[in-house]
Amino acid sequence: MSAGFGSRVRERAGGAGLRLYLALGVVAALVALLAVLLVAPDSTAGQFAAVLFANSTFASALRLSVPIAFAALGGIFAEKSGVINIGLEGLLIIAAFAGIYAADLLGSPWLGLLGGVAASTLFALLFAVVCIEFRADQIIAGLAVWLIALGLAPFAAQVVYGSTNTPRVATFATLPTMGIPVVSEGVTAELLFGYALVDLPFFGALFSATPMVYVMFAAVVASWWTLNRTAFGRHVRASGENPKALDTAGVSVSRVRYAAVLLSGVLCGFGGAALSLSLGQFIGNGPTMVDGKGFIAIVAYLLGNYNAVGALLSTLLFAGLDALQLTLQARDVIQVPNSLVRTIPYVSVIVVLTLFGRTRTPDAAGDHYESGEE
Amino acid sequence: MSEAVRLDGITKRFPGVVANDDVTLSVERGTVHALLGENGAGKTTLMNVLYGLFPPTEGDVYVDGEGLERDDGGGYVGSPERFDSPRDAIDAGVGMIHQHFMLVDPMTVAENITLGNEPRKWGGLAVDRAAAREAVVDLSERYGFDVDPDATVADVSVGVQQRVEILKALYRGADVLILDEPTAVLTPQEVADLFEVLEELTAQGKTVIFITHKLGEALDAADEVTVLRDGRNVGSVRTADTSREELAELMVGREVMLESDYEPATPGDPVLRAEGVTASDERGVVAVDDVSFTVREGEVFGVAGVDGNGQSELVEVLTGLRDHESGRVELRGRDVTDASRRDRARAGMAYVPEDRQERGLVMEFDLTENGILGSQHDEPFARSGRVDWDRADDHAERVVEEFDVRPPDTGAEARSLSGGNQQKFIVGREFARDPACIVASHPTRGVDIGSTEFIHDRIIDLRDEGKAVLLVSSKLDEVRGLSDRLAVMYRGRLVDVVDPDAVTEEQLGLLMAGEEPDDVPSLRGGADDAADPPEESGGTDAGRTDGVAGDGGDRE
Repeated sequence: MSAGFGSRVRERAGGAGLRLYLALGVVAALVALLAVLLVAPDSTAGQFAAVLFANSTFASALRLSVPIAFAALGGIFAEKSGVINIGLEGLLIIAAFAGIYAADLLGSPWLGLLGGVAASTLFALLFAVVCIEFRADQIIAGLAVWLIALGLAPFAAQVVYGSTNTPRVATFATLPTMGIPVVSEGVTAELLFGYALVDLPFFGALFSATPMVYVMFAAVVASWWTLNRTAFGRHVRASGENPKALDTAGVSVSRVRYAAVLLSGVLCGFGGAALSLSLGQFIGNGPTMVDGKGFIAIVAYLLGNYNAVGALLSTLLFAGLDALQLTLQARDVIQVPNSLVRTIPYVSVIVVLTLFGRTRTPDAAGDHYESGEE
Repeated sequence: MSEAVRLDGITKRFPGVVANDDVTLSVERGTVHALLGENGAGKTTLMNVLYGLFPPTEGDVYVDGEGLERDDGGGYVGSPERFDSPRDAIDAGVGMIHQHFMLVDPMTVAENITLGNEPRKWGGLAVDRAAAREAVVDLSERYGFDVDPDATVADVSVGVQQRVEILKALYRGADVLILDEPTAVLTPQEVADLFEVLEELTAQGKTVIFITHKLGEALDAADEVTVLRDGRNVGSVRTADTSREELAELMVGREVMLESDYEPATPGDPVLRAEGVTASDERGVVAVDDVSFTVREGEVFGVAGVDGNGQSELVEVLTGLRDHESGRVELRGRDVTDASRRDRARAGMAYVPEDRQERGLVMEFDLTENGILGSQHDEPFARSGRVDWDRADDHAERVVEEFDVRPPDTGAEARSLSGGNQQKFIVGREFARDPACIVASHPTRGVDIGSTEFIHDRIIDLRDEGKAVLLVSSKLDEVRGLSDRLAVMYRGRLVDVVDPDAVTEEQLGLLMAGEEPDDVPSLRGGADDAADPPEESGGTDAGRTDGVAGDGGDRE
């Protein structure tokens, strides 16, 4: 069964052709749904379309994608450098709690964000030391990071607040209410036909999001640039492909790997803290409020083939499906048990991976490297 | 003329081993200097000392690409170098091109050359790609290299990759270039090109040291040769004043028969037969493409080719280690296409794998245990479900004695043996099976000249006993010297089967590069298997029927 369904489909459709056909198919389906929405808004398909195109669906997709996208960017840096960081989930959890704790202590969501980043980076440092210095198995160390965070964050919440769920703290304001001169007024000002930018159908959500959404877009661009245009980015890629080549070129492989893993800690810090601070609370029950987002992030960057922009697009896809699933549940549109509806994002992950699973993993990912070894 | 490099009394000790013992080496500026020696003679260690990878235990290193200056007393002006890392050596103008290229496959040629020394712009916020490209083009033109700076390294040939490595060193300002076994992965034509490049480099004042264990290359390309044996410098000679025989004697320490003339073979019935075998490699790319041949009793069938043209995959299909996509394999008339490793071994197929540590031995096992690998289920070693260790030990001792494996201790872990001795043990074990057919993949890889000679003689002995031998090797001398018929593989196809005594090296080189030279002494006509006598097709049909019966019987 080495030639699976996916590869057979690919063969038949001929490489890039398949992507084109699928993209066309998706666009056609969207147009059809839009038509249904206009013609027969009361049918099931019409209601479905209404949910799909609702401003609120896109808004919550953006909100949900923030932690995933940051974690995915972090994962890209670490794995491109040759260290598989499967502990992204753990870093998100730690940052989510530390963000709330710091915001509670210091009284500002921005300082909370800093606290989350600091905690996550510290954890990433621990992971880096264990993996790079002590040559521990990266997968096991990554799982340890996750399990420790999964226990530690709710425990800390219990100790500090007497409950695994923290009390509420102040959250980030959204763009229209942040009071940034010109910008805040600009997006709410009535421009055409009495519509403001925030009232645009669907895309209005882009103009009324929290600052972390914009930071996310900036981080994607900055990550792409760093990896593809700077000398450091080249060193990161070389370190993950052929560390020996980098070493003999006179660049310290472990220094590059430390930097990349710490960077993944910083990025996860942003993601985790943004997650809890946008709700204003850390929820530590069960799988905590992070609830697998770190693992979805791994899928997202693999699907994006380690490209920052690709990772963002797949993140938006998963987050969009998640948002859709949430709204469908809330409005009870399709007569299907909610537990099935909840599986939509995960089923789509599997389908998408089967069809597009053409990720090229860095050659030396997961391998230890010690200078001077023959 | 002045010296560019002087190694003075270098001794390098590793725990339990003296790799270099008081070696003094002097290299003239603007010359090609060959460092010749058998495997384990300490060539690479010595160069790693010069390149700053290992600090010497004793001795001094002097380097100056412009030539070292002497004072009146004959001593050197300035103090010896202290290299703590390759970085220091690079700064002093020493560049090394390793045997395994240090290249990042998915990156472009220009990115690889500038790695670690990228020209930057915007205060370091970006790599100045235009400047990098220009620097590479300049260098490439100056030394007459034909290299496309924008090509991805994974897509260019091995010969070009080697040039990229050389450019990388030049880009870092190297005046002294060390090449470690630079010809191991090249076709004869690429070797000739490389030697031209070396000439151009020395003409422009660069100094080249290249490590090799091939006599002919040292003589062809170098101005001077230094021979290392057991970590000691046993002589430096100008190539103009020496001969192959003298160098061989220096290398081995005794007289060697360089060219053995073996009696021609007297082939009998077909033993191993492949028909339209097609298989893919790990990436799903076709690696063996419709390969057909027959190996007969009492002949050596050689397969030559540049490494990576499907030889490994072909051997794996024949020995049952890899799934095939189509075609069939017959052993003594029986269809073994789908037979397991164990079935094939029982049917009389011995196998010397190309990777001794991966497939030939269990490194943690001692020689007694390794000696029965593959026979552990069979008489006389296995009796009523348990292994008879006394017999196993006797067996291992016989192999060790016959093949002069050192140290002669059957209780030693395979890991503790040197590569050459591991190889001798595997060859001994496989030959001791008394097989009908031997598939030998690089049987003398990493083995010194003396032992190589011995293994070659044993292969011919087996042939003369009427065994069928399939020999795959990337050493042209070896396949040409031993084979009775020689097939050349290129991109998974057997491009031709030739008479090894009549074919010229140049023709072989062209065949190995996928071209079609004129007047090749081909043993294969227009039809696929014209090399096989016509009466054979009838015999094969009969064999097939037998094969089916045999198959059924075996599975009961």
